[in-house]
Amino acid sequence: MIWNRWRQRLTYLVMSAFVAWHTLAMVIAPAPDSSVPVRTLRAALQPYLTLFRLDNPWNFFAPTIGGAQLRYSLEDAAGARHTFTPTEQLNWFHPDFIWFRDWHYAIIDNPELYADRAGALLCRKHASLRPVSITFVHYEQGSFTPADQLSGKHPMDPEFITVNTVKTVKCPAP
Amino acid sequence: MSGPVTLTVRDTFAALSRTWSQVWFQDSPTSPLELARIGIGAALLLHYALATPHLFDLWGDAGWMPRDVVLKIGDPWVQSVFFYFGAPWEWVAFHGLFLLCCAALMVGWRTSWVKWIVLVGQISYDYRNPMLTYGVDWIAASLLFILCVAPVGRALSLDRVRAVKVRDLDARLPPYSSAWAGACTRLMQIQMAVAFFYSAISKLGADIWWSGDAVWTVFTIDEYYNRIILDALASHYWLVNLATYGTILIEIAFPFLIWQRSTRPYLLAAVIFLHLQFALLMGLFYFSFVMIMGHMSFVRPEWLTRLGAAWKRAIGEMEMIYDGGCGFCVRSMVWFLAFDGLGQINTRNFRTDPSPIVSDAQMEEALYLVLPDGRALPGFEAYRYVVLRVPGLWWQVPLFYVPVLSRLLGHPLYNWIASHRSLLSSMGSRAVAGASRQQER
Repeated sequence: MIWNRWRQRLTYLVMSAFVAWHTLAMVIAPAPDSSVPVRTLRAALQPYLTLFRLDNPWNFFAPTIGGAQLRYSLEDAAGARHTFTPTEQLNWFHPDFIWFRDWHYAIIDNPELYADRAGALLCRKHASLRPVSITFVHYEQGSFTPADQLSGKHPMDPEFITVNTVKTVKCPAP
Repeated sequence: MSGPVTLTVRDTFAALSRTWSQVWFQDSPTSPLELARIGIGAALLLHYALATPHLFDLWGDAGWMPRDVVLKIGDPWVQSVFFYFGAPWEWVAFHGLFLLCCAALMVGWRTSWVKWIVLVGQISYDYRNPMLTYGVDWIAASLLFILCVAPVGRALSLDRVRAVKVRDLDARLPPYSSAWAGACTRLMQIQMAVAFFYSAISKLGADIWWSGDAVWTVFTIDEYYNRIILDALASHYWLVNLATYGTILIEIAFPFLIWQRSTRPYLLAAVIFLHLQFALLMGLFYFSFVMIMGHMSFVRPEWLTRLGAAWKRAIGEMEMIYDGGCGFCVRSMVWFLAFDGLGQINTRNFRTDPSPIVSDAQMEEALYLVLPDGRALPGFEAYRYVVLRVPGLWWQVPLFYVPVLSRLLGHPLYNWIASHRSLLSSMGSRAVAGASRQQER
C-alpha cells in the first residue's frame, strides 16, 4: 500500500521532470545564443536536442528570401556545349522538386563539397553525349517589381539575372 | 510566528502543485494525438514512398551527399542507421521496413513499437543527407518524438479495435484517457506554439517582412513563380501587404491566443487557412499537411465527438448482415469493422438472427448491407457503399471507385469469394488450428 503510494508519487515526479525538461529543450533550441544563461542551458541540452533531431531554428522564410537557379552546361568530346536547366524537368507536385532544388542550392553554396560528386553523377547520366566536362552555373535573381510584371517581363529574364560560374568538373575518360 | 509562515509556504506550494497538475496532467483522451498519428504516418508513408526511386541518390554512399562529408561533423550525437550500412540491400531493407512501419503507424498496428522505428528512420534520413531537410523535417521529427513518448494507439487503432471485435463484432473499444495523454497533448501544443513564435520573431528581424513585400518576393523566385498569381498581386499590390502582415500577425498571435477557449477556434481556423495557402499557392503540400496535423493537438476531444456524431447522423445507421456460420466471413468482418472507429455499422448474423428485410436464401449468396431507407445492397455494392461513408475506410476508396474497372473486377472477385467461402473458412481454420498446435507444443 505504502509502496503503491510512493510509486505513484515517483511516477508523477518523473513525468513532471520530463515535461519540464522537454519544454525547456523546445524553447531553448531556437533561442539566439546571445546570452550566457541560454548558452549554459544549451550546452546541457545539446546532446538531447541533437540525438532526437530537435535542434530546429523555426525560421521559415526569414530573414531573407532569395531566388536562384542552377543550370549546367556539358561539353562533349567534339567541343560542342549542351545547356540544361534541371528544374524545368521537375513536377511541382512531386517532392523531388524540393529535393533537387535543395541539391542545387547545396552545389551553389558549397561547390567544394558537392560539385565534384554532382558532376560525376551528371557525366554518367549524359554518357551518351560523351561528356568531357560539366560546368555548373548559378543564375541569381535580382529585384523584380510589380511594374516589371505588368509590362510582361519575367523574373528569369536576363536583365534580372546575375550569372556566375560555380565550378567546372572534368568527366572521367570513358 | 513560524506557524503562519509555514502555513503560507505550504498553501503556496499546494496552489503551485495544483496549477502544475491542471496545466499538465488533466485526464484527457488520446484522440487529438491519434489524429496527428494517422496524418503524420500517412504523410511520411507517401513522402518516402515517392522517394523510393531516388533512394541511393538521396541517401546512398554513391549519391548526392558523400558519407565522409556528413561524418566530418564529428558529433557523436548525430546518428543515422545509414552510417552503418555497407551493402545496397541494407538500404533497400531498411527503406522497406520504414515504409511498412509508417503504414502501421497510420493504421495503428503495433503502434507501441513501430512509432520508434519511424522516429529512428526519420532522424536517420535527415542526418544522412542534411541538405534535404527543411521545415517539414524539423516539425516531423519533433512531433514524432512526442508521439513516441505518448500513449498513442489506444484509440482509432486497428489492432486494438480488432482485438475487441474478435470477441464480439458489435463491441466498441472502451474510451481511453489518462493524465499522461493530457501531458503529451500539451507538449505537442507547446511545440506548435514555440514554432510559430520563433517563426514570427525571425520574420520581425527581416526588413523584407517589415516593408510588407515578402510575399511578393516569394512569388517572384523561380521555384514559386506563377504568372497568374503574380499578375493579380502586381495589379492589386495591397494584397501583398495584407498577406505579408497577415502572416506575421497570425504567427505572433498564435502562441498567445491559442490557449483561450474563446479565441482557439479562430486561431486554429487562421493557421489552417495559412497552411492551405502554402500548399495550394507554393506547392508545400507535405509541409502544410504535417503542420496541420500538429495543430490537431489543439482540437478539443469534445469537438471530435460532436463531429463524429454529426457525421454518423448525416450518414445514418447501416446494418451489415453476414453469415456467422462461415469462419472466413467472420474474420473478414472483424478486419473490416476494425476501421469503423465511429461505430456506424451494426451487424447481424442471419444464422442466429434472421433479417426481416433480406431473405435467408439471398443471404446464402452474399453479404448484405441494409441502408437507413430500407434498401439492401448485396456483396461488392455493400462494401462500395460503406467505404465512402466510413472515414476509417476512406483509404479503400481508390480501389472501389475506379470508373468501370472497380465494378468490372470487384463483382466477379466478390462472387468467387462468396461461393468459395466454405473452402476459405476451412483453410483458415486449418491454419489457426496448426498455429494453436504449434503453440501447445
